[in-house]
Amino acid sequence: MSFREKLRAFTDGLTEFYAGPYRATFIKARQQEDDLFMMLVLSEALGVPNPASYYTLELLPIVYEDFHAWHRRMGMEHSPLENIQCC
Amino acid sequence: MLLDLIGSTRLIFFGGKGGVGKTTVASSTATALAAAGRRILLVSTDPAHNLGHLWEQQIGDRVTRVRENLDVLELDPAETTRQHLAAVGHTMRQMMPEHLHGEVTRHLELSAQSPGTHEAAVLERIAEIVAGSADHDHVVFDTAPSGHTSRLMELPELMAAWTDGLLDRRDKAEHLSAVARGLAPTGRDRVTATEAPVDRRNQQLRSILLQRRRRFTLLRDALRDPARTVFFIVLTAERLPVLETGEFHAELRGAGVRVGGLVVNRRSPADQGEFLAERRALEEKALADLDLDLPVIQLPLLPRDVSGLAEVEAFAELL
Repeated sequence: MSFREKLRAFTDGLTEFYAGPYRATFIKARQQEDDLFMMLVLSEALGVPNPASYYTLELLPIVYEDFHAWHRRMGMEHSPLENIQCC
Repeated sequence: MLLDLIGSTRLIFFGGKGGVGKTTVASSTATALAAAGRRILLVSTDPAHNLGHLWEQQIGDRVTRVRENLDVLELDPAETTRQHLAAVGHTMRQMMPEHLHGEVTRHLELSAQSPGTHEAAVLERIAEIVAGSADHDHVVFDTAPSGHTSRLMELPELMAAWTDGLLDRRDKAEHLSAVARGLAPTGRDRVTATEAPVDRRNQQLRSILLQRRRRFTLLRDALRDPARTVFFIVLTAERLPVLETGEFHAELRGAGVRVGGLVVNRRSPADQGEFLAERRALEEKALADLDLDLPVIQLPLLPRDVSGLAEVEAFAELL
């Protein structure tokens, strides 16, 4: 490893050290936004009347990928939806 | 008279209390316009369709030509919902493991029954028709009784607001994603590298939502544009329809729809004996409560039912 590469690795490390916690915060906030979005899309199935369930339905296939991780994050060990038993 | 009020407005709605003769008036108007050489699409949005009975032929959910320049269509929300669910189901099944396919089907079946699905399906079709073909000069809508229809007229606005809300949430999430990535030292670190699927998903969500919003705003703008849309309230000269007309008018105005006039159907003649003259006096009294600043078109009570081509044509002459 040349001196240049060592120096680059060192500055990268420093950036990560200082910026890391902030980045984690932003990622966490993004995650929470996504979780809220998921809840809006699934509201009808969760028992909250949704005026637009006809339209949220077409978003389901896309958010479904993240569904399992979502209900785990929400503190539910098993899927809260009777009709989507992912685990 | 009615035709003068319509002019070249493309979308013409007829609404009012149940049983006042919306279908008859809408069909006669369509016939009169067609006779004047315009190409007309007559659409029934009432789930209890009557156009078929009136025109004495099977119509259903496909464009059916009943006479020169006049096509008729009866929207079938159940069928529209079924197609929508089939499309969503197809995508979902592709993305989910096979042993869950039964679950998908059951979930979608339940969704088909959920409240609001029906009106959403009707709205979807109206949006399609409004945005659609240049094959017709006018589209005449024979709507469901007032309550349903005023709700239907408010829906595009509500739904546009709803998609806006969801898009805002997506904006925020994507912004946070971008900021987090900006803070990464090299851009090739492990956390952000695994975010590619998230980005792809975000884009899909956004494009679906944007497409929806475009449809809703197109429809809303068309319905609120007085040059493109006119609504006529049909009523009979009796106390309850008159009262309901006042409320209906206020609701339509609230939704930003131009009300072009009132059509008072089945006026009793004054010169056909004491009984009918008395009815007529009663009708005048009921109509006196109608203090809306709108053109009023009066249609007479006929000795026979209006049904079948010849009679609709004869009735159209009265317009």
